[in-house]
Amino acid sequence: MSAARQRRPVVLLRPIPGTSVIHELWAGTKLIAVFVISLLLAFYPGWIAIGLSALLVAVAVRLARIPRGALPSVPRWLWLLLLLGMFTAALGGGEPVLHLWSLDFEAGGLLKFLRFTALSIVLLALGAMVSWTTNVADVAPAVSTLGRPLKWVRVPVDDWAVALSLALRAFPMLVEEFRLLFASRRLRPRPVMPDGRTRRSRLSDLVDLLAAGVTVALRRADEMGDAITARGGTGQISAAPSRPRRADWVALGICAVVCAAAIVLEIRGFGGS
Amino acid sequence: MTSTRPEAPAQHPRGPASTGRPSRSLTPVEMAQAAVMGALSSALTIVSVVVPFAGGLSLLVAVPMGLLGYRYRLRVLLAATFAASTVAFLIAGISGFMVVLNCAYVGGLTGIIKRRGGGTPTVIAVAVVAGILNGVWIIAALTVLVRLRTLTFEAMTANVEGIVTAMSKIELFRESAEQTRAMFGTALHYWPVLIMAYSIFTIMLVSVVGWWALSRVLERLRGIPDVHKLEPSAETGPVAPVPVRLTDARFRYPGAEHDALRPLSFTIEAGEQIAVTGANGSGKTTLMLLLCGRPPTSGSIDRPGAVGLGQLGGTAVVMQHPESQVLGTRVADDVVWGLPPGTHTDVGRLLDEVGLTGMGERDTGGLSGGELQRLSVAAALARQPAMLIADEITTMVDQRGRDALLGVLSGLTERHRMALVHITHYNSEAQIADRTINLSESQDNMVMVDHSAAPTPTATVSPVPQSPAVGSGPVLQLSGVGHEYATGTPWAKTALRDVSATINEGDGVLIHGGNGSGKSTLAWIMAGLTAPTTGSCLVKGRPAHECVGDVAIAFQAARLQLLRSRVDLEVASAAGFSPLDTGRVVSALATVGLDGSLALRRVDQLSGGQMRRVVMAGLLARWPKALILDEPLAGLDAASQRGLLRLLTDLRRNTGLTVIVISHDFAGLEELCPRTLHLERGTIASTSAQAGGVL
Repeated sequence: MSAARQRRPVVLLRPIPGTSVIHELWAGTKLIAVFVISLLLAFYPGWIAIGLSALLVAVAVRLARIPRGALPSVPRWLWLLLLLGMFTAALGGGEPVLHLWSLDFEAGGLLKFLRFTALSIVLLALGAMVSWTTNVADVAPAVSTLGRPLKWVRVPVDDWAVALSLALRAFPMLVEEFRLLFASRRLRPRPVMPDGRTRRSRLSDLVDLLAAGVTVALRRADEMGDAITARGGTGQISAAPSRPRRADWVALGICAVVCAAAIVLEIRGFGGS
Repeated sequence: MTSTRPEAPAQHPRGPASTGRPSRSLTPVEMAQAAVMGALSSALTIVSVVVPFAGGLSLLVAVPMGLLGYRYRLRVLLAATFAASTVAFLIAGISGFMVVLNCAYVGGLTGIIKRRGGGTPTVIAVAVVAGILNGVWIIAALTVLVRLRTLTFEAMTANVEGIVTAMSKIELFRESAEQTRAMFGTALHYWPVLIMAYSIFTIMLVSVVGWWALSRVLERLRGIPDVHKLEPSAETGPVAPVPVRLTDARFRYPGAEHDALRPLSFTIEAGEQIAVTGANGSGKTTLMLLLCGRPPTSGSIDRPGAVGLGQLGGTAVVMQHPESQVLGTRVADDVVWGLPPGTHTDVGRLLDEVGLTGMGERDTGGLSGGELQRLSVAAALARQPAMLIADEITTMVDQRGRDALLGVLSGLTERHRMALVHITHYNSEAQIADRTINLSESQDNMVMVDHSAAPTPTATVSPVPQSPAVGSGPVLQLSGVGHEYATGTPWAKTALRDVSATINEGDGVLIHGGNGSGKSTLAWIMAGLTAPTTGSCLVKGRPAHECVGDVAIAFQAARLQLLRSRVDLEVASAAGFSPLDTGRVVSALATVGLDGSLALRRVDQLSGGQMRRVVMAGLLARWPKALILDEPLAGLDAASQRGLLRLLTDLRRNTGLTVIVISHDFAGLEELCPRTLHLERGTIASTSAQAGGVL
């Protein structure tokens, strides 16, 4: 869409072609793993927990054979912002003090900043691993299986799973429609107002775009509603059963051990507060 | 079908279970709305993150959710929120998840206030309360997550300390640096207060912007036709739709002045194959609705049992739009989609029958229109229907897909014990049926379409008159154009390879190719919307992507190109003149054969053919160097198709307009486009010219 050539785009909701141990895992396993590790990092964001989770992600990346090209290009301003943050944080100083040759360097501020950055990167990588290795068609059935216990508290899990599967089906179509909307906006000359002003407020321009988008989405929803009615309402959403296999129990086990180890070490106070 | 979307919210959703318990599950319409609006919210979230200039969009994510809150019950909103946040999580991680959650919270509230008839003061009052609740929730979370809070605050403190230290080095700033440090320290000490204030402020801001946008969008949505047709049947008892006997069955839509279907009497027996033909507006779709269970206005329809729409052994329907009918993301999943839990289906055998052998694991997103329709037939067959209704299923499909689809249909009644009702406006398709029911009043009133064969490269039809403007300098010069999507990623896909061609002034060129041939990519490159990764595309000597707008392009989805609410506003905006300049609006409309009285019509009240013409009016009023039309005839009925073709042919002949048509069909295009470029898998497979043009 843009004229820039060498930027790698964000590719939405498509797993990396090919297969691997990680690709073959049940989608539910990956969702549980991401959930559990996110919880761990929210409660114990120390170096040990971050390090162990990063190790786990790194092993998974290796197993799934994720090429470097899968990462979208990081815009330059983000790098600059990171560097700037690192610089000001380094100036902040504080414990511990590093003795490099004859120089004393207070690394406290820098370390805090690095820890926070590492935490954010691990969280992003966790989410990315799920989308890189999971076919979207497997997500909704897994959610439906995982959510079964919630039926006891009268959460309409089945409805939610169906809505999710249909949303995932509609998503690429809507993104394509937005691509067209933005293209037709680009094709237009600068707007002229009755009183001769040449620029409309950006927000009301966006509302026009949004109204066109919503109109098309409503039409799609009408047709989709017809299609559901034609199938006699909702019911099955997947042809193959969605449940964990042996490899999944192994993966979950590894995940549990890593989390337990991280918690024990963090509580003993190795990770820094 | 002809009713308009209710302005007021649907307080009591219609459906089979409307008298049931309060916590009944979603009806098909509610489900579809929840899913599509959920997808829209997450798409808006992602677009606002990915596309730099669209940052303001993130303020509008609340609108789709507001719409749901306004029109449906809370349960629909919750399902949509769940779907949207999960999709956003899969793409943008926790942050996307949080954005959607926040917007659903705010959007849902504004929507519900709107439904209850509240005004701006109510919104502000509710926003304050909502902001406090949200703040309490965040403070509670941060109180529990002590370590995360400490780390975040320490990282922030380190940055502030660093800046302060740097500033202190300079005498002039020392005092203010100390003040900053002190202020920051105080602020961190009272973090709950700060978070509360921030929460109230943001929730208020998003609520007010969301409220304003929602009101404007709702205003624009008034009068949009509701295109949903099928209603879930409320009948009980054993399912047995065949044989069905119509006796003087007549139908008139509520509030309409004429019958949509004239009195009709016939019987459909088990195992019969019947074709229903007729011009647009003769009631083909209405007949489909009656067969699906709508009671006729007068006369009677007798069946041995219930219609059983979509039930096992009942009635199955395949409709016109390929994309909207397929509900599964994976081919095999779509076949069983919606079947009662526990039903066993031999998916492989069904896919074999419709010619999709071995494609069970494929993504439905990559299928062509014809393949999607065959998949829909497979899904219909999975219900072992006693009656299958195919409603104009070939209209949106290319020639090859049409042949394959007809091949599947023709043997069905022999292999299955069922009646097949095939509704079509193609003559040739009606011929395979045992019996034809013609809904048009008289034969010569019928407008039927005949297929045309692909012109062979050696065709020597009568020479086409050359345009008067034979200045014939090259308008578009493509040399070695290639394009690859997602370059450098594992998803890299080459769409075009080494395409070279020259298009001269006044030319009429058809770019023909099947699904995935790269023809749309080529169109985008010629319009300057995509910069090719290799080679160059020059418009009068300038790279196309540096002069966007010089070459006009009309997309297949005309509705997406109509950004304003009214025809005159739209034409003026697209052409770049003031909407008060009535004369220019009228003359622009006249160029495309539309009456000036249409200028004040709302865009959503136009027919498909009119929409396409309005788009062209806006584009042509800028005197583009060339006009690209992407599938200009798709979805139009025969009369509109001919009208549009005649208009384009005249425009080209009389004004010397350069016309480039992108299509997977040839029907009737020979006169408009004497030259044809065949694209196959991203390269030019062959070229042909009827009037002796040289490429």
